[in-house]
Amino acid sequence: MTLNKPWADFLDELGGIARFATRFFAQVFRPRYEGAELLRQCFLIGNLSLPLVGLTSFIMGLVLTMQLRPSMVEYGVESQIPAMVAIAVVREIGPVIIALIFAGKIGSSIGAELGSMKVTEQIDAMEVSGTNPFKYLVVTRVLATTLMLPVLVLIGDSIMLFGSFIGVNIYTVTSFPLYISQAMDSLTFQEFLPAILKTFFFGFAVGIIGCYKGFHTSRGTEGVGRAANSAVVVSSVWIFILDLLAVQITDLLGYN
Amino acid sequence: MKQKAWNNIKLGVFVLAGLLLLIAGLYLIGKDTNLFSRNYILRAQFSNVEGLVVGNNVRYSGIQVGTVKEVKFLSDTLIEVRMVVEEDMQSIIRKDDIASVGTDGLMGNKIINIAPGRTGAPLAVENDLLRTEEGNSTEAMLAKLALTNNNLLEISNELKKTVQNINTSRNLWRLLNDESLPASVLESLANIRRATEKAQATVADLQTIVADVKAGKGTVGQLLRDTAMAVSLADAVKGIRQLENRADTLATQLSELVTTLDNDLATGKGPVPAALHDSLMVQKVHSILSRVDTSAARFNENMEAMKHNFLFRGYFKKQEKEKQKQAQAPQQ
Amino acid sequence: MDTLPAITPAPAANSPQSLVLEASHVYKSFGSNHVLMDFNFQLYKGENVVILGKSGSGKSVFIKCVIGLLQPDKGSIVVLEQDITSLRNEALDHLRAKVGFLFQSNALYDSMTVRENLEFPMRRHWLAGQQRNSESLVQEVLENVGLAHTINMMPAELSGGMRKRIALARTLILNPEIILYDEPTTGLDPITAREIGNLMLEMGRKYNTSAVIISHDMNCIKLVADRIVLLYDGKAYANGTYEELRRSQDNIVKQFFE
Repeated sequence: MTLNKPWADFLDELGGIARFATRFFAQVFRPRYEGAELLRQCFLIGNLSLPLVGLTSFIMGLVLTMQLRPSMVEYGVESQIPAMVAIAVVREIGPVIIALIFAGKIGSSIGAELGSMKVTEQIDAMEVSGTNPFKYLVVTRVLATTLMLPVLVLIGDSIMLFGSFIGVNIYTVTSFPLYISQAMDSLTFQEFLPAILKTFFFGFAVGIIGCYKGFHTSRGTEGVGRAANSAVVVSSVWIFILDLLAVQITDLLGYN
Repeated sequence: MKQKAWNNIKLGVFVLAGLLLLIAGLYLIGKDTNLFSRNYILRAQFSNVEGLVVGNNVRYSGIQVGTVKEVKFLSDTLIEVRMVVEEDMQSIIRKDDIASVGTDGLMGNKIINIAPGRTGAPLAVENDLLRTEEGNSTEAMLAKLALTNNNLLEISNELKKTVQNINTSRNLWRLLNDESLPASVLESLANIRRATEKAQATVADLQTIVADVKAGKGTVGQLLRDTAMAVSLADAVKGIRQLENRADTLATQLSELVTTLDNDLATGKGPVPAALHDSLMVQKVHSILSRVDTSAARFNENMEAMKHNFLFRGYFKKQEKEKQKQAQAPQQ
Repeated sequence: MDTLPAITPAPAANSPQSLVLEASHVYKSFGSNHVLMDFNFQLYKGENVVILGKSGSGKSVFIKCVIGLLQPDKGSIVVLEQDITSLRNEALDHLRAKVGFLFQSNALYDSMTVRENLEFPMRRHWLAGQQRNSESLVQEVLENVGLAHTINMMPAELSGGMRKRIALARTLILNPEIILYDEPTTGLDPITAREIGNLMLEMGRKYNTSAVIISHDMNCIKLVADRIVLLYDGKAYANGTYEELRRSQDNIVKQFFE
């Protein structure tokens, strides 16, 4: 049986990523642990993404509110704006938008960094220097993206809600405590926790795909660019696929 | 190395901020589900819970005090609702307090309302059963309002028919032309016509309101969110009922009068033709007409009063404004 | 093939001739591309051996097998009396600490300063004792390659020749017994290439190392080679000193020296 080439490539890559992920889990709990490098990556991946995530989140919250307002006023449910924005932001927009921005910033940088390390033999150099490059480069980065994205989403969600608060106050005057209580009253644990939980998977996808693309770079500097690019594209697609899975799973479990 | 330590500190701040936001989020969401406050269980039994589900809010005199924990059948006609109520309420809620199923706003979630019983019963403790009242729900009220509306419509139609009868009764007009009462008769007729028109207009308005409310939009929708408002609405409905009765009598009287006159004049028999020149008869007709007059006036008044009922005021004002707008539009 | 000149290993600087690297009957193929077929190779203590061959003839593949970056399909590679093909994890790392590898592209870590680049293999190999004086060791090895002033610079700020020296310093810092050079002069101008060649010789003497050098830069080979192995068609086709091979009448050997 023969598959046409795009399908074969797609399945080949899927299998490669799956195997890469398996290798990650095989290595992550085994010593030696690259603690210092993990902290460094967490700083680079988490802290340094915050300005970008913060800015886009703020704008997103503001714009969302301003766009929603006319319709909400028309239906006479202006007072429901905080609740509506809160649900939209916490359940979907926050995790997905921030994960996409994260994929754009971090996925590409991991893909490019590991890709250039690969083509300039730095990964080999690491191996002969008595360092397991998979542990030192991949495990730390994937752990860092997995752990940092939820933190970024929590902070980003808050900033989005703050942006929305500003958006509401452009037209009317609402106090911050009232806004927060209106926004939060509409949310339940069944909405909040799965939304946070799925960001771990988003972060993992961004990290593992970025590393996979970087680790399997070939054909010199051109390959580095391609690795960075496809790391972003593939991880963005995977964020949406995981999002779809997440909503179906929460639905199945009756948490929707 | 200094830089590294500093970076780690910044990372720590970053992660801590995320954790604090997580905790704050959990707390803010959880404060309504009573995860973080101590509480106790109260029970209430209903024959119909109208779609109440686990997690719905429990309010005491309008203040959020807990949530519904469990809704289960005790028998085919009895449903028990278990509520988780804040511990602080142990010194407030009494055994005789009345629980009822209500709606949070017109279109909102179901809630349990607990109202004070005011009979001085002892304080309710864990697992106590509260008294219940099957609430008159908004839906029931709306149904009643629609019924009233239809009645009003019928009456106004009847009124219209009567007026038409009067208008087309040649005999009556002959009688009126012949004699000296025309001025007051004409006036009465005008009054009746006006009353009819007004009644029809109001009925149309009311129907729009009901339709709007049913569709859940518009200002009235918001007005009706409040339970206090709902009570006023019930009063208004009662008022409309009374109005209906009065209009009914008026219509009957008129119709009787016209029929009698018609018959008598047509057949040339009976007391009427004979007494056409009798001043006593004229006086009688006069008095009937004046009675009709007052009735019509009162009907008018009632209609006016309804328009000014605070509940509908805003709605009618809006209608008027729109009418003005429409009137102005062609002029421009 | 029996027309080969008789192989007499060149006398090493140290009197007792001891074998530090011996590869026997090594096979390696990538798919249908058979790169190494029954390749045999010996390296004696103190010797600088050049492996000469066309591009893609499997020279790099061989030294990557020696350091354990690649696994040969068949055959054994004994490095310092241990068969590297059977070593795993820590034992492999332990052996690798004694074998330096100078990459063709230098493989300096872009994200680290020169100092961190040099410290990296030391930290990673957990060489107790050396940890303490790592600072002075870095200084010393940098002075040896003549670049002490670059200690806090990033690799991107250095020229090609400087990068090659730093890369050499990074392999030397662990005081290896064998150094594997992967095309050390490729991409360098002739003058710098000569400097690097001299540095290789000097460091070889100073650190008392043996070396396997992959190259097709004849100037460099002439300068550093004690012995040359010609890799052709997956086999060690010819073996001898520079002069011996230059005078060879074999057509294939002659191609390389024209």
